[in-house]
Amino acid sequence: MAGQDNGPLLQFSPFQSAVDEGFWHRLSDMKLNHLGLDESPIPITGFYAPCSHSQVSNRLTLLGESLPSEPSAHSSNSPFSSGNRNKCSIPGVLYNTNTLESFKALDKQSLLEAEAKKIWEDIHSGRVEQESSLLSRFLLISFADLKQWKFYYRFAFPALKLDPPATIASLEPASQCFSLQEAESLTVACNEWRNSSTTADVPFFLVSIDSNSHASIRHLKDWEVCRSDGHKQCLFGFYDPCHLPNNPGWPLRNFIAFICSRWNLQKIRFFCYREHRGFADLGLSLVGEALISVSQEWKHCKHIPKAVGWEVYEGNKGKKVFRCITLANSMDPTKLAVTAA
Amino acid sequence: MVLKDKLHGVFKGTVERMTNPRTVSAFKEKGVLSVNEFLLAGDNLVSKCPTWSWESGEPSKRKSYLPAEKQFLITRNVPCMRRASAVEEEYEAAGGEVLVDDDDNDGWLATHGKPKDGKSEEENLPSMETLEISKKNTIQSFSSHFGGEEEEDIPDMEEYEDPDNLIETDPATLQSSYLVAHEPDDDNILRTRTYDVSITYDKYYQTPRVWLTGYDESRMLLHPELVLEDVSQDHARKTVTIEDHPHLPGKHASVHPCRHGDVMKKIIDVLMSRGVEPEVDKYLFLFLKFVASVIPTIEYDYTMDFDLGSSST
Repeated sequence: MAGQDNGPLLQFSPFQSAVDEGFWHRLSDMKLNHLGLDESPIPITGFYAPCSHSQVSNRLTLLGESLPSEPSAHSSNSPFSSGNRNKCSIPGVLYNTNTLESFKALDKQSLLEAEAKKIWEDIHSGRVEQESSLLSRFLLISFADLKQWKFYYRFAFPALKLDPPATIASLEPASQCFSLQEAESLTVACNEWRNSSTTADVPFFLVSIDSNSHASIRHLKDWEVCRSDGHKQCLFGFYDPCHLPNNPGWPLRNFIAFICSRWNLQKIRFFCYREHRGFADLGLSLVGEALISVSQEWKHCKHIPKAVGWEVYEGNKGKKVFRCITLANSMDPTKLAVTAA
Repeated sequence: MVLKDKLHGVFKGTVERMTNPRTVSAFKEKGVLSVNEFLLAGDNLVSKCPTWSWESGEPSKRKSYLPAEKQFLITRNVPCMRRASAVEEEYEAAGGEVLVDDDDNDGWLATHGKPKDGKSEEENLPSMETLEISKKNTIQSFSSHFGGEEEEDIPDMEEYEDPDNLIETDPATLQSSYLVAHEPDDDNILRTRTYDVSITYDKYYQTPRVWLTGYDESRMLLHPELVLEDVSQDHARKTVTIEDHPHLPGKHASVHPCRHGDVMKKIIDVLMSRGVEPEVDKYLFLFLKFVASVIPTIEYDYTMDFDLGSSST
């Protein structure tokens, strides 16, 4: 690989998905009562939060409320509970097909590219600075077999590919990167950010630490302030769902693509924000420095980078399978009648 | 389901519809909570242990006596690294069961792994033994979520060829299938099960009630029957039953609340006998500590530096 003379490649741990039973109940209800044979894409909302246990990564979760509450077209902005620190909303899109055959026949690569293109356009239009969760758009394809109450599905978390990939100059626990005073101030600032209902669910942010070791957290749109203020340090922070000590999580990928194409930086100091029992934990959080050497094309909106992101799920014997869940026990009226008898 | 339980369910539902929710505090006298006290204690849990949050659940299942945005409490993605049976073995090897009481620091229900130190019996702290409700196995026959009971052994997983999935050849993607906890040399793949733990208000018993929704190591929904592996074996199928969740779809495992009030009353009495005046907003911390003896392996958050109330001495 090119670029390895700068150090090892920066490798991101893929996002993990989890679907709550309520999501499938709501989808079945929509399908039976409203959608019929309509296969139009449906806007959905996923939820995630920073990693909060040292042994498990956090997941992108779909709940009943992930689906629009009204089956009408303008429900994409449904007022989901904003400000819930454990449920940062991420926009997604669902393609639910009418048959297993059409589910399998979906052109996955072009669906992924279409979502990646939206991310790319939001980066260049400046929308990301206003609404940072647009960087983590996701995609779900599904087939709901409502005769057997069986749901086949697959997730994609589109990530723009840097060419050549970013390399890593350093990566260590955040607690080792700051003076005691800085670490203390940063911890306070993070907890404040997470406790305020206006910022608790904003997953990408800027961290600046001034020469008095005072840390503050700002929105992405305040980049100019952050840069021109002559701060001692400026870091790019994000809610990291990943728990691994040597890898950042998936959301950093598009964040780096955003930073280098929008702000033209070649050296990016990033901060993987993680928690323990709901509070900032700089021992689990990571600070790293990524080196980027992308071509000039990255500044042009017309040039859409390649994307990756289909989740891989291995079933028995290591074969790749679609995820499938059977909910006959809680959905099939005949079975419900039996257990209720 | 056993007819007796069925009848009781109907009875309980009727009583819940006919009676008004408790408004007068009987926290110290009976160990129960009024609706407002539940909200107060819930707010305190959310602020001290922010992995917990209030949720509104299914709109159709909303209870009118609770605010729409505060129907129940939930904490998601809580790891469960070991099976309860493994914990119990270790625990017995370490010297014993139950509840350690330590006068020095107001130690409460022991977390697992602490050896018995002799002092514990005389105080006669509430033991879960008294909570048994029925020897009968009330669980319907087991069938996995991944296949129905009348299906073949291996559910028909749909395989696919995926030559274009660049993620598998992408150098910047960390290549690992789902992440098994990274401590080496422990083969047990079940270790990374996770749980969503929720607390609802049971109007009939006037106490909180705990519910468990499990996910396997690949984040697929776990059949409630398998959840019982993560419950103390003294309680599986007795105090822990599988029922409809009051705010979420589907069947979930739950610690039956029929003796919660009595146990909480005992805990409160012990506190009071030590001159500690229990405060009602700490109720859920006490409650979750006590629930930890039923689900010892699920590492949910009930910690805070308490001080179980203002000491009157």
